[in-house]
Amino acid sequence: MAIVVGSRRTRWLGRALVYAALSLLSLLFLFPLLWVLGLSFKTRMQTFADPPLFLWWPTIENYVDVFGRSDFGLAFLNTLIVSGSAVGLSLCVGVPAAYAFARFPFRGRSFLFFALLVMRMLPPIAVLVPMYVLFSKLGLTTTRFSVVLAYSTFSLPLVVWIMRGFFEDLPAELEESAWIDGANRFTAFRLIVLPLAKPGMVAASILCLQLAWNDFLFAAVLTNNASQTLPVKMMTFSAGDSGVDWGGVTASGMLVILPVIIFSFLAQRHLVAGLSSGAVKG
Amino acid sequence: MADASTILAKPPLAATAPARRRPLALDRYFVTLTVLPTFVVMVAIFGLPLLFSLYLSFTGWSPNQALLGGAFVGFDNYADLFADPVFIGSIGITFGYTTAAVSAQLAAGLGIALLLNVDLPYMRAFRTALVVPMMITPIVGALCWKLLLDPSHGVVNYWLGQKIIWLGQPDTAMLAVWLVNVWQSTPYVALILLAGLRSLPSEPREAAAIDGASRWQMFLHITLPLLKPYLLVALLLRTIFEFRAFDNIYAMTGGGPANATMVLSMFTYLASFVRFDFALGAAASWMMLLMSMLICLFFIAVIRRRDAN
Amino acid sequence: MPAIRRRTLLATAAATTLAAPNLRAQTRPEKLVYIGENQGGWKRALMEEVAPAFEKATGIKIEFTMLPVDAWRARLKAELGAGSTGIDIAQWSVGMAGWMSPHVLDHNEVVAKIAQRDPDFAWDDFLGGSKVAATYDGKLSGIPYRITTGIMVYQKEILAKAGFATFPTTFAEFEKAAMAVNSPPDRFAFGVMGKQGSGLYTSIASWLYSAGGKLVDFKTGEIFINAPEAVLALQFLGDLVVKNKLAPPEVTTWEYDEIIAGGQRDRFVMGQTFAPYMTLMNDPVNSKIPGRWAGAVVPGHTAASQSRTWIDGHFMAVPKYSKNADWAIDFIRMACSKQWQLRSMERGNAPPRGSVLRNPEMAAKLGWPPIAAQAIETGVPTPAHPVWDTLELSLRTGVSEVLLGQKTAKAALDAVAADWQRGLRRAGIGRG
Repeated sequence: MAIVVGSRRTRWLGRALVYAALSLLSLLFLFPLLWVLGLSFKTRMQTFADPPLFLWWPTIENYVDVFGRSDFGLAFLNTLIVSGSAVGLSLCVGVPAAYAFARFPFRGRSFLFFALLVMRMLPPIAVLVPMYVLFSKLGLTTTRFSVVLAYSTFSLPLVVWIMRGFFEDLPAELEESAWIDGANRFTAFRLIVLPLAKPGMVAASILCLQLAWNDFLFAAVLTNNASQTLPVKMMTFSAGDSGVDWGGVTASGMLVILPVIIFSFLAQRHLVAGLSSGAVKG
Repeated sequence: MADASTILAKPPLAATAPARRRPLALDRYFVTLTVLPTFVVMVAIFGLPLLFSLYLSFTGWSPNQALLGGAFVGFDNYADLFADPVFIGSIGITFGYTTAAVSAQLAAGLGIALLLNVDLPYMRAFRTALVVPMMITPIVGALCWKLLLDPSHGVVNYWLGQKIIWLGQPDTAMLAVWLVNVWQSTPYVALILLAGLRSLPSEPREAAAIDGASRWQMFLHITLPLLKPYLLVALLLRTIFEFRAFDNIYAMTGGGPANATMVLSMFTYLASFVRFDFALGAAASWMMLLMSMLICLFFIAVIRRRDAN
Repeated sequence: MPAIRRRTLLATAAATTLAAPNLRAQTRPEKLVYIGENQGGWKRALMEEVAPAFEKATGIKIEFTMLPVDAWRARLKAELGAGSTGIDIAQWSVGMAGWMSPHVLDHNEVVAKIAQRDPDFAWDDFLGGSKVAATYDGKLSGIPYRITTGIMVYQKEILAKAGFATFPTTFAEFEKAAMAVNSPPDRFAFGVMGKQGSGLYTSIASWLYSAGGKLVDFKTGEIFINAPEAVLALQFLGDLVVKNKLAPPEVTTWEYDEIIAGGQRDRFVMGQTFAPYMTLMNDPVNSKIPGRWAGAVVPGHTAASQSRTWIDGHFMAVPKYSKNADWAIDFIRMACSKQWQLRSMERGNAPPRGSVLRNPEMAAKLGWPPIAAQAIETGVPTPAHPVWDTLELSLRTGVSEVLLGQKTAKAALDAVAADWQRGLRRAGIGRG
């Protein structure tokens, strides 16, 4: 339902107003990031100049400095590994289940689904406390594996939900005719359903990847300096005792969010599609 | 996002039972085999930890004891928790913060959604730009704001021409973490509502336009009621997510000054990982869990009631 | 059971035949696992220089596991609680002594072993306060590597211009000098860490101990935090900040980084800070006013002799469960030797050795080491009882409230005392 606008003159005025409002809002929402991006290209003297500099000759010394600390690359790798593994695990485990949820009634289905809902909704700290104690007794803390398990608490429910909705929208006729042709359900699922479900899986992975990439709490408690992820590493630039290091904070912060901004462009379509497909069913 | 589907979706269609002429032996186990892995993972990373934390909350467990070595202490941990003025205070702060954050997000999100819904060229570019704060790492967003709000070198104070100590005074500290939260989460609400606006039928509006209704009347009496389910979903999701707020508060104030921003997550974090009182932390996290379940059930009941009408 | 024993026997046999004969009782491991926290640059000498030198000398790699503060403590607590053999060198700090102590070797024996191997180690050289801090319940539980303590830093020239040729030695003198040099809004008199966080205890501790105050008796559960001395100390600090407005208004957001930055940017004249931070405030690259900071011990209440401050620090200890204890001891011997301690000070550490802190060359270069040495001699270690974590958290609330002007010191500390009573009872200390 798009807004239909009246006479020509009011239409022109209305358009201008809408554009002006949106431009202002975009500026407002992007300004903090743009300003910090600017800071990351300033020298220490420029950063603390009074009044703040709006035009300056940019320097990349902060980035050189951040990359010079070898463990920044390691943290990048760690983040990639743990978020990737969590998403992979959730897809492998969750997609078949989502299919079953969408197509077959079985005993305990609504209970399981409710449990998934709770799992997605519950405060992360509530799982983290017991998880931490259990993992430390099992010798799992500070391993990447423990973080992967922790991330699965939010990525698994997300995968199941997105994919269930997706499977429900897929027409059942194709599999059914395959069944009639004598294919068993596993074969039909593998050869017919899964290829059709690819776009859904892509959307689910991107959304999960973004959540996992952005996590701070789990990684802060469950990692050490060998397994720490980017947000945790980045925080060490902020809270230390070597004088305020705005160069390190800003440059590392920008590097941390660069991949998610790319995700967000990739996910644009899926983001909105996911939203509407979910809500339309109401 | 997908969360929306759970609440609003009708139960899946009863299996479109196909003509099963030759039920293959393996097929009988299809559901079991597909659901079992999810079930096992859920038990391992969700069921067991929660049960264990329930156990912890009834014991005097400390980290140098064996896993199940704590002595049973009944409700002592819960009693201690409710005797702690900081915990009681944090309940109020959490609810206040959640209410303030969610209502601001809904108001701003609705405005943005209405603007983005206007059918004009280049709207996608605006949408892309506005979505960025919600996608980026929360802790980075919070640290960015911390620099912006720096008392002596922050650009916000420079523009205001004042030296406000944003994060060092109780009221302004709360205002600052609230502001960061609204900045980060409004796009989420806007996207849900935009999707809602897009899917609304246009007939009622056209009919109203013919009847000569003003634009404001149309919004109030047609668009808003039709949008209600989407508003409810956004309200539920944001309430649940703000209720557990942690990252921005951890990065900006650590719960201070004078406990002004001590939300429940922060309290539980400090109890568990600074005081090492895991028993108390477990009790606090179960209280959080119960509260968020209650919020969830309340909203689901509201949505169900609306559906029934 | 028999199978396991046979396997262990086989393994042991294999190990003994493989190992080259040497003085140590244990076979040479491939690596030693060191667990510590990841904050601050003071471990650079340890990680970048001592460990490689040790590897070169012995062929043993030191595997550093450096964690964020909370995680580090939690990790040690969990692993040592479980009797894990995975840690060879545990770095701990004063507040952890209570729960660390049962899990580590008696370090008097460690010192004896080191002395046997290296007569030049000179245990006497370690300052008395550092040994007190390393001891819990009569047991020496680690070898001090870094001792931080509270000092005052002053911009000497400004004080001199205002007519103060010597640094304040009492509370009254301090306040008088502060009133004289306060020139808001650009340069205030007094800098202090006022953020509700882990630094806040140190901000009140110097005033509290110098006023003759105490915290709590962990044996009987008697609480002194709302006693008149403590109230006086906190009220004095609160008045400096709130009533007399002698501190920059943003001190309520200041923690470690920020006080250093404040010093570098000429934001105050008299700063209450940690000994090694003076080096950073005087740093010619990052400081606007390099070389203008001088240090002194904290003022006493009514006489210079009452000056007392907190001491905290990091110790290296060998857990009882380590299978490579002798090698771990050897690493500690090297890291804490005179030569490496001196080097570590150049790279930001605050070592506990008297000879290193009083080294004239370093004293001239850095300024703070002799002051730190003086403070450490009389310093009061951060409480080591496990329940202190709980008590400190509520003390933070109280101090924060006073620094914001929300409460008087008396009201705030009464609330803290009530909180402490609950905390102590929960920990099973004192009456019922």
